[in-house]
Amino acid sequence: MKKKFITIIFFTWLTGNLLAEEKVDFSREVLPVLSNKCFVCHGPDTKKKDLVRLDSFLGATRDLDGYKAIDPNKLEESEILVRINDKEDPMPPHKAEKKLTASERDILTRWIKQGGTYATHWAFVPPVKKKTNSTGNPIDFFIAKKIKAKGIDMNPKADRRILARRAALTLTGFPPDPKQLKTYIEDKRPDAYERLVDQLLDSPSFGEHQARYWLDAIRYGDTHGLHLDNRRGIYPFRDWVVRSINENLPLDQFITWQLGGDLLPDPTLAQKIATGFIRMNPSTAEGGAIPAEFQAKNNFDRVETLGTALLGMSLICARCHTHKYDPILQTEYYQLMAFFNNTSESSMDGNKYEYSPNIKAPADQASWNEWNAIKEIRKGVLKDAVKIQTDAFNRWQKASEEERFKLLTNPDQKVVELQKRAAIVAKSIAESEKRFTTTLVAKELSKPRETRLLNRGEYNLPVGEPLLPDTPKAMGSFPKDAPRNRLGLAHWLTAREHPLVARVLTNRIWQRTFGEGLVRTPADFGLQGEQPTHPELLDWLAVELQDNKWNLKKMMRLMVTSRTFQQSSARDSKQVDPENRLWARGPSYRLDAEVLRDIGLWASQLLDPTMGGEGVKPYQPAGLWKALMHPGSNTKNYVPDKGVRQYRRSLYVYWKRTSPHPMMTLFDAPSRETSCVRRSRTATPTQSLALLNERQRVEMGRMLGQRLLKESKDSENIINKLFTLLASRAPEEAEKEACIKLFQQLQKRYDKNPNDAETFLSIGESARDKELDAASLAAWSQVALTVLASDIAMWVY
Amino acid sequence: MNPENSQSLTRRQVLQSAPLGFGGLALSSILHKNSRARSPLKAQSPPLHQRAKRVIFLFMKGGPSHMDTFDYKPILQRDHGKPLPFDKPKVTFAKTGNLLASPWEFKPYGQCGHLVSELFPNVGRHVDDLCFLHSVHGTNSAHGGALLKLHTGSDNFVRPSMGSWISYGLGTENENLPSFITICPTLAHGGVQNWSAGFLPAHHQGSPIGNASITASKARVRHIQNNRWTSGQQIKQLNLIHKLNQEHRQDLNEHNPELEDRIRSFELAFRMQTTMPEAQDISGESKATRKLYGLENSVTEDFGHQCLMARRFAERGVRFIQVTHSDQDVQWDQHGNLRKGHAKKAAQVDWPIAGLLTDLKTRGLLEDTLVIWGGEFGRTPTVQGPKMDGRDHNPHGFTIWMAGGGVKGGYRHGSTDEYGYYAQEKPLHIHDFHATLLALLGIDHEQLTFRHAGRDFRLTDVHGKIASDIFA
Repeated sequence: MKKKFITIIFFTWLTGNLLAEEKVDFSREVLPVLSNKCFVCHGPDTKKKDLVRLDSFLGATRDLDGYKAIDPNKLEESEILVRINDKEDPMPPHKAEKKLTASERDILTRWIKQGGTYATHWAFVPPVKKKTNSTGNPIDFFIAKKIKAKGIDMNPKADRRILARRAALTLTGFPPDPKQLKTYIEDKRPDAYERLVDQLLDSPSFGEHQARYWLDAIRYGDTHGLHLDNRRGIYPFRDWVVRSINENLPLDQFITWQLGGDLLPDPTLAQKIATGFIRMNPSTAEGGAIPAEFQAKNNFDRVETLGTALLGMSLICARCHTHKYDPILQTEYYQLMAFFNNTSESSMDGNKYEYSPNIKAPADQASWNEWNAIKEIRKGVLKDAVKIQTDAFNRWQKASEEERFKLLTNPDQKVVELQKRAAIVAKSIAESEKRFTTTLVAKELSKPRETRLLNRGEYNLPVGEPLLPDTPKAMGSFPKDAPRNRLGLAHWLTAREHPLVARVLTNRIWQRTFGEGLVRTPADFGLQGEQPTHPELLDWLAVELQDNKWNLKKMMRLMVTSRTFQQSSARDSKQVDPENRLWARGPSYRLDAEVLRDIGLWASQLLDPTMGGEGVKPYQPAGLWKALMHPGSNTKNYVPDKGVRQYRRSLYVYWKRTSPHPMMTLFDAPSRETSCVRRSRTATPTQSLALLNERQRVEMGRMLGQRLLKESKDSENIINKLFTLLASRAPEEAEKEACIKLFQQLQKRYDKNPNDAETFLSIGESARDKELDAASLAAWSQVALTVLASDIAMWVY
Repeated sequence: MNPENSQSLTRRQVLQSAPLGFGGLALSSILHKNSRARSPLKAQSPPLHQRAKRVIFLFMKGGPSHMDTFDYKPILQRDHGKPLPFDKPKVTFAKTGNLLASPWEFKPYGQCGHLVSELFPNVGRHVDDLCFLHSVHGTNSAHGGALLKLHTGSDNFVRPSMGSWISYGLGTENENLPSFITICPTLAHGGVQNWSAGFLPAHHQGSPIGNASITASKARVRHIQNNRWTSGQQIKQLNLIHKLNQEHRQDLNEHNPELEDRIRSFELAFRMQTTMPEAQDISGESKATRKLYGLENSVTEDFGHQCLMARRFAERGVRFIQVTHSDQDVQWDQHGNLRKGHAKKAAQVDWPIAGLLTDLKTRGLLEDTLVIWGGEFGRTPTVQGPKMDGRDHNPHGFTIWMAGGGVKGGYRHGSTDEYGYYAQEKPLHIHDFHATLLALLGIDHEQLTFRHAGRDFRLTDVHGKIASDIFA
């Protein structure tokens, strides 16, 4: 008893001393408590005038008739200190749903005793780069610092094969090609890994894979999304995204073109196509729908998508009232909306594919390449023209009258030839453009629409004066010289001083590289969101992104070549850090729906490499569209594609917003009706059933089995090849044995029941090789199908 | 050693010693770092007094008319053709005219003497077991919004379905079947969102069997069968997957809860391949039972089949079973053609529902199984359509009834006004309905929360009053 007492005294003394020294971090420690426990009544939206506001120093130090919530002159007497410790009449009150915990009370106490000063929420302060004092990769500097402080170590480096697979899946969405893998493993140069990374960054698959994340964030879909959910002409936009990522268009321009490409001086075709971003909102043409209501709704959707995708907060609360936690006024929501309220399209889509305004654009990547090539030729012709004309002029200048007359009568052969070339180019352009397709774009009205605050977000309750386009004050000021239109909005977003955009993008790049973000709530950088695991690292990277002219490839290269990325992903047995918030192990997670399908197509050599074009329709159970569609819809009947279009990369799978492909949604792909910046990763029995029994999965297994059997008849080699393809490594003994065992069991079974083998081998459109023994083929196919469904193939690790 | 570790070690030892590596192992999860070491679907005892252990929800899609079925309105009969003497709601789905009397006769049933229309003569015989909630009301007058409101408590945000909340709160009594099954659900009007787990862990989502456009006898869980394995043979593949995953786990991610989740999902999938066909196989049911559910009558066969499946799932311990009366037709949505439409729909369900109630009672299941009947809204007492033979959507007052599972039989809770337009006495909002439903299952609706996107969510949002007067 006595001993316990002494211990308590000792601890009180110890903690008391420590607390006295430790400065409370307002933004990281205090503000989350205030926001979560106090702002419900004392926050930015407090309506009662006599209620103290705790969201600012000014509010908290207001004189409340003789006393103050925070009294800067008599800190110890601050009312907050009294009330949070008052047993009779505490704050938050007895009836409050959320009460303070002991540690929260402690934080508030220390904070007030240290002066009770306020600071801005971290995400609203522009990031700055801290010095790293390190010659290595700065990421590792920040990560190692914290890991060391916890008294543990980084994991050892992952096996090279595992690492190659991880890098390839992260960058391109495919495992490394066996040849590429072999070259890398045999490459003994110290920068072999960096060389592999560079190859991967240069692969056209890179753009396809990375584009997907952006398309989720901005809710890309091939249909209108509401009511009839009819077809919409917008896929050239998707192809533009892939193209600009592959060409490494700087991210600030990537954003600017999408927001205001049409407002740039003499915009290029690509810049106009990019404005499809503005047109990505779900739309309707339902009878009885009110145009004014949908004018508002379409714009709500744009504001909130912009918020989630670039500002790290949906802003949706401020649509109806001033934000409860974040410093966003309802007026500011509508000022932001005013930027979008001037586009010329009708608020109802008319159920039309061409829902104007639209332009004609290349219909796929090949057509785009062709068109660009012709443009290059045209440039050449024009260049030659200048030369020929200049030569002719010079000759004319120098010539005598006699000679000049001769020149006139004998047409210049060079000019004639040039004209011929020009005619050919003109014809090629015309022919190329004939194959162009429709894509929706943004166009500004000459006379802006009036925007007013809508009371409670109701379209028919506008109040107050018309609002000019403006941006939320908390996120930095609007650039002085920028126009008050979408282009100006893009300037604001990409300005050096913007506190959010570079951080939000960096966080998501980190998330798709490391499996989780530095900020674990990528859609909420506000007061209720999570703090970054490594604030200094996030800021360093965000500034680095801007310093490097918003270079995405460079940023991803920096991340995947870090020691942090290259760690083994093994978890430590003590479970010190189950959520990997210290990043002391490499990434490991289940791959996305698209990647799971793509790996199967790729390994089985079914994959059709064609890039771009209208969405493709792989098999799906009959009647899914019909069961939910209006009889008048033009997406009522799902007609699966035939031939190679069955086997295109999943990025190109037709995205009907009310019913995306079931193998996509089954593995957590979003519907693309609203912005999604983080997919969930679920494991359900229906997934397991589909992995082994869905038609295309079976076909992949079948064709992979066939490939393996054609390449080798020897069981050992077959299994080696299977593992090299899917796991980038050779199988372990136990794995090999298990595979062989299943093969033998199945072969026996199929030998006895040849009809079963035939039935199995006829699933899916692609024909089987009749030269191969049906029982062996069916058995190997089942093995392949099974390994494809295992974690070895389905996870990054 | 912390409990999580000891749990996973034992589990691995068990798995290694199991002859097939699979079986009825109750694999526990460490889904979240703070969760207790248990299977997330394992049955849990609820905090409050539990009156019902499971739910069968008979969902009548389209909005059956309460004035024409269970909520008799003599004044409406009297004032046929006259204008409604008070204001219609500000927002209506479509225009309606004057009052329309019910074209059906009502007569008293049972000891309680509750009046039921001639549309439901068979359900009528059970009125002494039924608890009528006459004052249910919502806000959304469109099918999509109203369906979502009824199923998830929210008509404009994606939220977990009530079946998922209940699975999350109570787990399942049978680890070989999903805890939430929805038979022939409609894909329209919110579709999958009506049985989705939203932000709750995915294993609480409803497992659909077929959909509204598939006849019940052909409805299956997608991909559960293939034409190349006899039942149970896929275990060979699962053994290999298990082996590979286990190797993989030992190599790299020994303690990764997500990997364990995957193993569990494969196991349940495998077990479902045997348990589902067995549960759905009604060939062993007696002739009398088949007759009881109307399987021998082409009109009642389809819905009867669904009801019979529901009983079989209830017997096997599935927590929440939804049966949807729907097709690609307009279902109960008679804006016109009320007489024919409602008569046809009622004829399809009346006999099977009565059969289900009888069967549950005979088997002693009704005591702890809560049966719920209702649509997403009711219909207006005012007329609609050129032939003066229709009614519009009415979310402002309608009837849902419950039976079994600890509710008073032959009891009426609340009422609508004398015409049936608005909930009047003891109004019961959809949130209150949900709060009451959870209370019957022994769950405090204010305590059943899930933290998501920075706040704690509930099925009842910040609302919900329990109608405890209906408790037996």
